Amino acid sequence: MTLAYALRRLGMAVPTLLLVAIAVFALLRLVPGDPAQIMLGDAADPAQLQALRESMGLDLPWPVQFLRWLGAALRGDLGLSLANGQAVLPLILERFQVTAGIVLLAVALAALLAIPLGTLAAWKQNSALDLAVVGGATLLLSIPSFWLGLLMLLFFGLKLGWVPVVGYVGFSEDAAAALLYIALPVLTLALIETGVLTRMARAAAIDVLRLDYIAHARSKGLRESTVLRRHVLPNAFAPTLTLLGIVLGNLLGGIAVIETVFTLPGLGRLMVDGIYARDYPVVQGTMLFTATIYVLVNLLTDLLYPFFDPRVTAE
Amino acid sequence: MKTGVLLAALAATALAALPARAQSPAPPLRASLNSDIRGTQPGGNRDFNTDTVLMHVVEGLVALDERASPVPLLAEAVEIAEDGLSYRFTLRQGVTFHNGAPLTSAEVLWSLRRYLDPATQWRCLPDLNGSTGLARITALEAPDARTVVIRLEKPAALLLATLARPDCGGTGILHPDSVAADGNWKKPVGTGPYLLGEWRRGQYIELERFAGYAALPGPRNGFAGGKQALMPRLRFVVIPDSSAAKAALLAGNIDVMSDVAAAELQELRARPGIAVLAAPTMGMSGLLMQTRDPLLKDARIRRAIALSLDVPEMVAGIVGQDAPANPSPLPVASPYHDAAQARYPARDLAQARRLLAEAGYRGQPIRLVTTRRYPNVYDAALAAQGMAAEAGLRIELDVLDWATTLDRYSRGDYQMMSFIYSPRLDAALSYEMITGPKDTQPRKVWEEPQALALLQRAMSTTEAGERQRIFSALYSLFMQQVPMIVLFNQVDYAAVRQDVRGVQPWASGQLRLWNVARGG
Repeated sequence: MTLAYALRRLGMAVPTLLLVAIAVFALLRLVPGDPAQIMLGDAADPAQLQALRESMGLDLPWPVQFLRWLGAALRGDLGLSLANGQAVLPLILERFQVTAGIVLLAVALAALLAIPLGTLAAWKQNSALDLAVVGGATLLLSIPSFWLGLLMLLFFGLKLGWVPVVGYVGFSEDAAAALLYIALPVLTLALIETGVLTRMARAAAIDVLRLDYIAHARSKGLRESTVLRRHVLPNAFAPTLTLLGIVLGNLLGGIAVIETVFTLPGLGRLMVDGIYARDYPVVQGTMLFTATIYVLVNLLTDLLYPFFDPRVTAE
Repeated sequence: MKTGVLLAALAATALAALPARAQSPAPPLRASLNSDIRGTQPGGNRDFNTDTVLMHVVEGLVALDERASPVPLLAEAVEIAEDGLSYRFTLRQGVTFHNGAPLTSAEVLWSLRRYLDPATQWRCLPDLNGSTGLARITALEAPDARTVVIRLEKPAALLLATLARPDCGGTGILHPDSVAADGNWKKPVGTGPYLLGEWRRGQYIELERFAGYAALPGPRNGFAGGKQALMPRLRFVVIPDSSAAKAALLAGNIDVMSDVAAAELQELRARPGIAVLAAPTMGMSGLLMQTRDPLLKDARIRRAIALSLDVPEMVAGIVGQDAPANPSPLPVASPYHDAAQARYPARDLAQARRLLAEAGYRGQPIRLVTTRRYPNVYDAALAAQGMAAEAGLRIELDVLDWATTLDRYSRGDYQMMSFIYSPRLDAALSYEMITGPKDTQPRKVWEEPQALALLQRAMSTTEAGERQRIFSALYSLFMQQVPMIVLFNQVDYAAVRQDVRGVQPWASGQLRLWNVARGG
């Protein structure tokens, strides 16, 4: 049943992805700016521009360009970057590894902090602790990520000199060095997402704490820690899981600001650079990839939901 | 509890890596680049940063000197025939490629033929195959192992300057090992002081010292003389964000910060242990005016706009004392920039108002396109808007991204535009970039037939006195018709750490890391 549901959901994602592809293609063409002009700069003469456009296939009618790209994409070929001739799909996968590593660590860290904090705040609703947690969470989610990132960079990188300010090393090359390089971006992202998740976890826990079975558990004489651990936390987690899925889907699509501040070669920076350079295949490929990730993460969240809330079934 | 232990272990592992890093061999000299390079083919898929890196790897027959004039580099001597139709290059002896092979006329011929093959997609092909009217190469010959002859259809004053242009990859002479057996590009095997090492896309490009490099004697001279590879390794680190680049410089993660943003200058100058270096380049900042616009086709309104601006004050506000206001399309560093061009016409609000009244201007809005991509360009637009208002001019800003600005520029789709031109390394090219028929080249600002005729003469004569007369005449005409308002030449800034010596910004704006060392 679950497999059939998953397949049906995947089937439903096809029109969504097609719409994304059409929208991105059309919007990119509607935005002024010419990749050939950007490559040749202000000194380009019309003949040079035309020759470059032809070599890039940009002189063809839009529908032809789109169908060619879509046909290749269906075969797993997202084309070549206009800026540097690299194959787009391997480029996306390479950059995605960087983004995924940081996002998964940051979201895991944020969840580990936010869920207990949110539950505690709900348990002590309207107390000084609740005020502190809610205030802290609101502050964290209100801080722009670039500003927090720069502060982190200036304090831990520049003032204390604990971590390098720029650069990236993959885990496969040197795990210890990799940790050093991603420590600040992970921490920055985790703090911001902690703000988002804490509020959700608190709200969900408040709802659960009001339910009859919590009163029943307490009236049975269970200790408050047991009530929280056994009855509140698992039941309050399901709504937070939905938010976790949305957060993951959003972040896996690229954390352009964080990647720019910390000079990380991730998916977000690839997309932003692609937009500035009007590198159509890169932007189209990245958007399609991001949409696919979003669909998959949401599907995974929905499939996991029944494990945390048995009232819901994957059908 | 388990989570706490895990985090503590992670932190301990990370901190344990610190001393290990400190004990590793001396790092390469590291300089920032604000974007990754596009490729490794000289003059191929390129941009400014690509040229900067590749000019460390390849060298041409001629190169630009410190004042951006072409001088021999791989050639020992260049003889120009009296009729201007052939150039004979005698190659230097003792020059070897990165693979150890000696430089001979065969490699020069191979390289030039490859550049002239349309399949190479060399940026400067249209300039040398007659397409742009600059020059047309008709034959390439190698009478002996040390001599190469280039024959032209008609005299071309800009042949050597074109061959030396960094955006042409300096027409770098390559060994055939640069391409695979199937003709596909591998990597540049040149004669420069550094050879290409590891390129981690989006992260860094590393260059290694070429032990067999044969330097021209003498002090450092542009891209030509006195190149010494003092550092064994160079690393160009890609850092798109200028604040991050600044932090990296201050933390010692990079040694040289190139292309310093104006917003960072004040703080960097105030920091102990950091030196900020500056030099005016051949790039130009200016306010373009669409001479076909119903309003701005009236030269009186264009002149009124120019008279309403206090450009020296505007420039001082934008770049301080690092570059003077320059009213001429010729850069200050050009040998043809004479005393008449050094004086900026004074602001005259009364005259501006008079001209506007004569032209029947009644406060119609004038839209000025600008971009935040280059802070100086935006600042200039903002200042112009404020100053022009004092003369009763109503200028409204359209702030666009760079790609859109460039698109509007190339289509001539603007009333006014605050724009930045990349360096043109010959006086004729400085006028060529703004002069031309708008019907076929809408990006051109000035389509005065008399100016076009003068420009054609400047492009075919090599005689300095004659050229000076032509450029003086062009300047007078330009100031009468005011198709644009030139503001200043862009400044090349570099910030370096105290222990770095030898960095020297210059007219081309490209960072040079030869003759640069750290420590000692």
